[in-house]
Amino acid sequence: MNDDTALIRVDKLHKWFGMLHVLKGVSFSVQPKEVLVLIGRSGSGKSTLLRCINFLEEPSAGTITVGGVSVTMAPGQRLDHRKALAIRLQTGMVFQEFNLFPHMTALGNVIEGLVTVRKMPRDQAIALGEKYLEKVGLLDKRDVHPIRLSGGQKQRVAIARALAMEPKVMLFDEPTSALDPELIGEVLDVMKQLALEGTTMIVVTHEMGFASDVADRIIYMDQGEIVEEGTPEQIFSSPKDERTQTFLKPLLRLQHL
Amino acid sequence: MAVDSLYSPPSGAPDPDLQMGLELMAHQRRAQLIRLLKTAAVWTVLVGLMTAFLLQLKFDPAYIFQHYQIVLEGVPVTIGVSLVSILFATILALFGALGRLSNNSIAQGVSSLYVSVIRGTPLLIQIYVIYLGLPQIGQQLVAAGYPTLGNMFTLSALQSGILALSLNYGAYMTEIFRAGIQSIAYGQREAAVSIGMTPWQTLRRIILPQAVRIIIPDIGNQFIAMQKDSALVSIMGIWEITYRANRFARKDTKFMEMFLLAAALYWILTIISSWLENRLERRLAHAYER
Repeated sequence: MNDDTALIRVDKLHKWFGMLHVLKGVSFSVQPKEVLVLIGRSGSGKSTLLRCINFLEEPSAGTITVGGVSVTMAPGQRLDHRKALAIRLQTGMVFQEFNLFPHMTALGNVIEGLVTVRKMPRDQAIALGEKYLEKVGLLDKRDVHPIRLSGGQKQRVAIARALAMEPKVMLFDEPTSALDPELIGEVLDVMKQLALEGTTMIVVTHEMGFASDVADRIIYMDQGEIVEEGTPEQIFSSPKDERTQTFLKPLLRLQHL
Repeated sequence: MAVDSLYSPPSGAPDPDLQMGLELMAHQRRAQLIRLLKTAAVWTVLVGLMTAFLLQLKFDPAYIFQHYQIVLEGVPVTIGVSLVSILFATILALFGALGRLSNNSIAQGVSSLYVSVIRGTPLLIQIYVIYLGLPQIGQQLVAAGYPTLGNMFTLSALQSGILALSLNYGAYMTEIFRAGIQSIAYGQREAAVSIGMTPWQTLRRIILPQAVRIIIPDIGNQFIAMQKDSALVSIMGIWEITYRANRFARKDTKFMEMFLLAAALYWILTIISSWLENRLERRLAHAYER
């Protein structure tokens, strides 16, 4: 992979929570329009890795570069909040628990960043917000508050909220893990559509079907390290590392049921 | 896009058991009304008994009817003092709470000392310090050659009352605001930050609107309590309900009559305020109702 064209570069990233070494010098890069899926057991560090990319977690050490903005952290060094903000503006984040703003309507949620952060005139923001609600199939819910939406609808509004900021890369942190099984499909459909349109995406998920259908590349993590990296065929058909094999065996059997 | 909503709109066919549901609701409403009437009956009996008892003991209701006007004129003063004070107290409490939650040690020190001292001393002492103590300092400052600064320390009775009530309630409400802000889920902050909001934007647009809704009942309670605590400012001779009642009671030694009248006025104020607060609460809950 040619690193010069990479949209995201993570270099020797470390994260400590107290005495817990959660990320042990992780390095990888993502090309524009690439869909990267992170898989691994709970506690393998994949969510923390994702959250470090937009500085929801402060990395302990290492370098993160997104769209030309680079932040290098070292122990005892303070985070440069201006640079962190510049990186956040290029990344859209979708959370497991949706985290919609309950006091705003669906449209209010989507345009909040446009109006407050981007200082876009309100009518312009509304037009853009409606476009993205339409994209996730929820334009008819524009004036509805989150409490009246199903879990799947909430997550689709959350995706529209992140998309409206027109980020260079979308980060998904287990976007379907909090959903009832019958609601997972509608969220995955939206994500597939985004992938087809060439959106650069990093997705942490346990949905192996989605990973094998949509991912350009899969990274398997274990205990804070990247164990194996490859195309879906390589990872699912002929995993090289023993840890990847034991992780995938029961999951793959379930998928075929 | 092949994504459709799982919710289907309510279909045209009526529920065959609709009648049962309606009957059940009517029954519940009836039971509620009966309970309300029973409570009202108990209240009426209790108040009636007390009135009868007082009338046996030369209680003079005619005096109240002749002089109620004078005490009634104190109501706007009581409401005014309370409203202005609760406004200042709310502003103080917001900054107090931000200070307590801040990482800045100066902000934290200032606000924790403020809360500790004010909550640790009686309101009456605070009124004395502001109304009688401060002018003493002011005179020394004037003598030392700072006349403008010195005169600022001499506050009128009304200014002293409002300042004391604001400071006092601001300290208690700091804790209310702090709890309200802390009760907002951390995910809300993360979501705001992830779309590029600064800490200040996050507070103003995401955290405070949600926190205020949670603490509105508490602010309402504080306002209701303050209306009664504002009786304390009568010691400085502000013409509010208590001062007027006291003054006329003394003149004609009609203490029971005048103070019961004052009590009734405070009670009515409280009932009206509770009702208003309830309505506001329901309006703010709108976004959270299914």
